[in-house]
Amino acid sequence: MAVSELAHGTKAGVSARNGNVDAARLSIFALVAALALLPLLAGGFLLYSLSLCFANALAVLSVSMLVRYGGEVSIGHSFFVALGAYAVAIVEHRLGLSIAVSLPLAVLLGAIAGFVFAFPSRRLSGIYLAVATMALALALPEILIGFEKFTGGFEGLYIAQDLIPGISKALQRYYVALVLLVVVCLALSHFRKSAQGLALLMAQAQPRAAEAMGITRSWARVSIFTLSAALASLAGAMTGFASSTVSPNSFTFFSGVFLLVGSVVSLNRLSLPAALVGGAFITLVPTYLAKAGDWVPILYGVALIVVTLAANAGDLRRFLPRRRGR
Amino acid sequence: MMATIGSGLVAEGISLGFGGLQVLSDVSLTLKPGVITGLIGPNGAGKTSLFNCLTGLYHGQRGHSSFAGTPLDGMGPAQRAACGITRSFQNLAMCPELSLLENVLVGLTLKRRSGWFSAFVPTPAQQAEREDTERRAMAALSELGIASAAHHKPSDLPPGTLRLAEIARAIASEPRAILLDEPAAGLNAVETRDLMRALKRLMRPDLVLLVVEHDMDLIMELCEHIYVLNFGRMIANGTPAEIRAHPDVIRVYLGDDADD
Ligand SMILES: Nc1ncnc2c1ncn2[C@@H]1O[C@H](COP(=O)(O)OP(=O)(O)OP(=O)(O)O)[C@@H](O)[C@H]1O
Ligand SMILES: [Mg+2]
Repeated sequence: MAVSELAHGTKAGVSARNGNVDAARLSIFALVAALALLPLLAGGFLLYSLSLCFANALAVLSVSMLVRYGGEVSIGHSFFVALGAYAVAIVEHRLGLSIAVSLPLAVLLGAIAGFVFAFPSRRLSGIYLAVATMALALALPEILIGFEKFTGGFEGLYIAQDLIPGISKALQRYYVALVLLVVVCLALSHFRKSAQGLALLMAQAQPRAAEAMGITRSWARVSIFTLSAALASLAGAMTGFASSTVSPNSFTFFSGVFLLVGSVVSLNRLSLPAALVGGAFITLVPTYLAKAGDWVPILYGVALIVVTLAANAGDLRRFLPRRRGR
Repeated sequence: MMATIGSGLVAEGISLGFGGLQVLSDVSLTLKPGVITGLIGPNGAGKTSLFNCLTGLYHGQRGHSSFAGTPLDGMGPAQRAACGITRSFQNLAMCPELSLLENVLVGLTLKRRSGWFSAFVPTPAQQAEREDTERRAMAALSELGIASAAHHKPSDLPPGTLRLAEIARAIASEPRAILLDEPAAGLNAVETRDLMRALKRLMRPDLVLLVVEHDMDLIMELCEHIYVLNFGRMIANGTPAEIRAHPDVIRVYLGDDADD
């Protein structure tokens, strides 16, 4: 009987897996400890770059979350990132309040914006959804420059307020971003085991079976997009805080493309090491690429086409002559 | 022959076509609570399509269905699931990323009470709910004799185990109607026997249970009432003895013997 065969393999298999899990946990713990102690050794520019890297890692996670739990690709997540960043800047300029207030507000705004976008487009998927998100990314610079009174136009805004008074700016940026990144990774690993997380994975792998279990496709689409946009907005708030500035330069059409490439580079994983790889990629590569001058848009364009086509390989089959039924 | 609406799961005059292909023509059936009903028919007869109509995945061009007196017409699959109708899938609908236990847990989605906050932050209430649903899912897996496979990924398991897990998922939520699409496909003789025993144990006076099967012996032994579908038409229904003696059924099954 197949079951008794399994029973033999089970104990060894599961304990081996537990061993791997423990080793993985331990190495992540060591990584966090090392990052937490780093400011004792390093200073200035490295800490600044790392805090940006942490913030970017959060943004990459928001895109990866959409890919993993929604099976969807967004080119326009820079829209939600910008929303969070500008929320921090505008709250400081208009109300004089720090990220203690604007960070939760950014998450809320991101969730609302995500919902408002996702609800009407809940029947779109694959390449069609990707194109719809592209509209967001394209509209973004116009909005930022158009609402100059609030956004500071081309120049952007500075973010000067500290979260914790009395601690140096560099250390604050670094630790706030690091703590937030670790907390988000923990929350995401809890989410994987939650009823909602399981439901979303099922809806993606077996949409019709999931429907028959009470998980509607529109619920799945709207929820994952809302969550992912909220996380993107949180990431944006951190980007603003870590770089002390927001301007339309940081949120061009290509930053959305770049987030997607960063997510692919991190293999769409939702772990801390993967997020750091994606974050480092986004933080470092554009500065190197800047030297490529005129080639930059072309490189981005090619990356966009490759990533979108690869992610939508399944959808593209739809265009082949033999059509599937409903 | 037409039963009173109000008891069990009832379908009347269901017709379904895809383009020029008529898959179901004027199909009616009544699934009474407390009775294990069988549905047989050759390959391509429309059995799965009828399942899909009953569970809202397909919508017939004509016909009505109701469950315990509530009309189901126009309801999508999720709404029908909320009415207590669950099913298994002929082509194993497992999520490869989830363990067997998690795949069964998804079947309990409609029982979820915990909100979005506790999806990200562990709370005592969510922890308790998780333990409760896990206990139910494990009980369903044990009922089918596959509890030892709970923590394995579907890709590491033989099809027979996945088939049983598919059924465990359907029964875990304590539904009011269970529709099983070829539950014994790919099972060996021992597993089939175990499955049959489990299904009989499962039977309660208020449960509607419909089983599609190719295995005639199993259907004849398990079911009290059997429907026979051929080319989208219901050609016979009755007790196992009546079905065995029915001339149309004999013709269909003798003429179609080469299959499966
Ligand atoms: N979505 C669809 N689009 C087009 N044709 C379909 C669709 N679903 C089913 N059919 C057709 O309906 C007919 C009945 O299929 P169905 O799967 O219901 O048969 P079945 O009785 O379950 O067969 P099997 O014993 O092989 O499982 C087949 O000819 C099939 O090709
Ligand atoms: Mg079938």
